[in-house]
Order: sequence, then structure tokens, then C-alpha cells
Amino acid sequence: MIKHHPSAETLLSHAAGTLAAGHALVVAAHIEGCAHCQAELARLEATGGALLDEISPAAMEPEAFAELLARLDEPAPPPPPAPRQAELALPPGLRLPKVLKTAEIGRWRWIGPGVRHAKVRLPWAREQTLMLLRVAGGRRVIHHSHGGAEFTQVLWGGFHDHTGQYGPGDIGEADETTLHQPVADEEGCICLASLEGGLRLPWLSRLFGG
Amino acid sequence: MNAIDTPLFLAPSQTRVPPVTALDAAAPDAAALAALIGRVAAARDRTAFAALYKHFAPRVKAYLVRAGMVGGEAEDVTQNVMLTLWRKAEYFDPARAGAATWVFAIARNARIDHARRKREVAMPDMEEPEAPDTAPSAEALTLAAERDTRLRGALNTLTPEQRQIVQLSFFSDTPHAAIASALNLPLGTVKSRIRLAMGKLRAVLEEGL
Ligand SMILES: [Zn+2]
Repeated sequence: MIKHHPSAETLLSHAAGTLAAGHALVVAAHIEGCAHCQAELARLEATGGALLDEISPAAMEPEAFAELLARLDEPAPPPPPAPRQAELALPPGLRLPKVLKTAEIGRWRWIGPGVRHAKVRLPWAREQTLMLLRVAGGRRVIHHSHGGAEFTQVLWGGFHDHTGQYGPGDIGEADETTLHQPVADEEGCICLASLEGGLRLPWLSRLFGG
Repeated sequence: MNAIDTPLFLAPSQTRVPPVTALDAAAPDAAALAALIGRVAAARDRTAFAALYKHFAPRVKAYLVRAGMVGGEAEDVTQNVMLTLWRKAEYFDPARAGAATWVFAIARNARIDHARRKREVAMPDMEEPEAPDTAPSAEALTLAAERDTRLRGALNTLTPEQRQIVQLSFFSDTPHAAIASALNLPLGTVKSRIRLAMGKLRAVLEEGL
């Protein structure tokens, strides 16, 4: 039972195509598993369609259609090569979201006591900070530096913070105005996260007195 | 009325392509547009494609211009959008979305891709659902048309303020915080208008989509 969905304005930005690529991927991972948000997105895209239909048209150049006709028989470009993905050890029953198929995925790396992450890179938007996070029970997921928006989609296990309990399929949305310190549940947590403004990890914050 | 204005009355095998010129002829309705895409999918019907181009290309171009592209760029990206429509027509499923909705999604993705073009790698195509096995039935097309009519009705129930925010969200390349400051509104007001607008759309469309 999914309890936490993206906010209305996030879904609208997603439908409009204005969400940053990393956030868009995490939101798409949520929508993939959430019938409620699928319906919401369908309504929003239909709204986009209705607005497109009533827009005041801008004339194409006179020769444009003839030029396009000449291109119709060109072969379609080949699909991009499959991205490199490490074989990640995952708990039984955890399937990664389909939207990750187009992303590069690195190995699990230790980044602090009880916390591992696997970098996720979008070949078309490499600057985005995206990762799979695997956090042991009771450990803190991320300690914020409040650089910007952050989306966390739970894939397995769960975490809780002052806004509530998050289980598989739930998405957490935080921005620089939210102070949240998610802590993994007893069994631990695997999530897909996108961060703006970089990541500050619990052990780093301890080292540097944060 | 020339051939483009009555595309449904042409045999699918007819491949003579009439010129695309006037923009002011009556626009085909949603069911007619969906049927045209069906003909492109089924028979690579260039006459049907000409009618789709006439309807959608100038709208897609206007959308891209409003999203901040200059004329030449908008024209090029529109050509790519229409080429995608031609190549992917068999993935169009009127049970899932209306013709304008499907074209909007292609245009939106092309716009995102264009913004990324300066980098070397293109964004992958949108996730393709299974192509429907059979051509859309008349019933499916009628349902799609009814749904589009309901959606227009739903848009008309929005207050001008709600509608403005929704429209800016779709047509300007601006985050909500910037929309708020451009309109001299608190961000919270923008967000609550979005929530109210989506609530209305949901209420009107509940039994559809
Ligand atoms: Zn949801």
C-alpha cells in the first residue's frame, strides 16, 4: 500500500518535462509502481494534449512538409547501446525499476558504517547525482547539506523520519527547507535517490563535526 | 474542401500527397486524428500523414517557440517530432491516450532532448508500451473522442488563475518558483492553485482515463 506520492507540483513538472533529469528518473520509478500516479500523470498529459490542441499555431516554412516527405524512408537511428550495469547483489524479490534500464549502474561501494551506494548515471545527463543506497537497519540514510531538492524512492525495506514511515513504493520528497534525517527500519532499506546540491554522508558529517 | 480536409474519405491505399498550405481550415476532431494515426500505422498512409502534419506541425512549433526555442530550432525539432510520429505510429493506442496527448508527449520529450543536445548523447526514446495488436475499433475512437471532450470541459472549470498556472507549467521552461516570482505570488499560492486544479481535473475525469 503506497502512502507517499510525489507532490502535485512535482507531477505537473514531470508531465510538462521540466523536472531535472535525475529527479525525473526517480519520479518515473515511482509512477511505474503506482496506479494512482499513473492515472494522475495520464490526466496531466491529456491536459498537455488539450492545451497543445488549442494553442495558436505557428506556420511552418513553405517547403517544410516536402522536405520531411523526402526523409520518411530514411532508416530510424539504431537504439543506443545498452549501458554498463554492474551485477548488484540484491535481496531476493527486489526487481529494479524498468526506468533504470537506460542508466549506467556501478558496484556497491562502502561509504560509511552500514551504508553502501551504487552510482547511477544517465548517459544523457551525466551531471545528475543519482544513486542506489543500501542502508543497514537503524542507520541514517543521508545527512543533508540542504543544497536543493531530493527524491528518494523506496525499493526494498523502509525508513522513517519526522514526516512518517516509508515502505516499498513510497517516494520521499524533500527540499532545502525540509530538515529530514531518515533512519532505516530494522531490516534495512534500499532506495533510489536523486540529489541536488550534492550529498553529505553521516560519517563525513561526523568527521567534520556536522 | 480539398482532400486534406476530408481525409477519412480517402482510401488508405491512396498515396498521392496534396500540398499542405492553409492553416485556417476546420481542424479534424479527436476521433478523426486518432483514425489518421491508425492509417499511418496500418498502411504508411502518406495522405493521412499529410493531414496529421497540417494539424500538428504548426501547433508543435508554437509549443516549442513558447518553450524558448528560436524559429529555426523550433522548425527543426518539429520536423523530428513529426518524423517520430511517422515511425512510431503503431505504438499509438487510443485506449490509452488521445492523439493530441500522444503528440504532446513526443514533443515534450523532443524538447527535453533538444535541451540536452549540446551534450553528445541523446535521451532514449520514451518507454514504448506494447503496440496494440489490431487497428483501433470505432468504439475505441469514439471513447477517445468523448474523453477529450470531457477533458476540455474539465479545463473550462478551472478558474483563470488556476488555468494560467497550469498553462505556464506546460508551456514555459520555468520552475514553479520562477513562475511564482514572475507573477509576484508566494510559492505556496502557486502550489495550492496546482493542487486545486488537479483536484478539479480528477473530479471531472474520474470515470475516464
Ligand atoms: Zn504515487
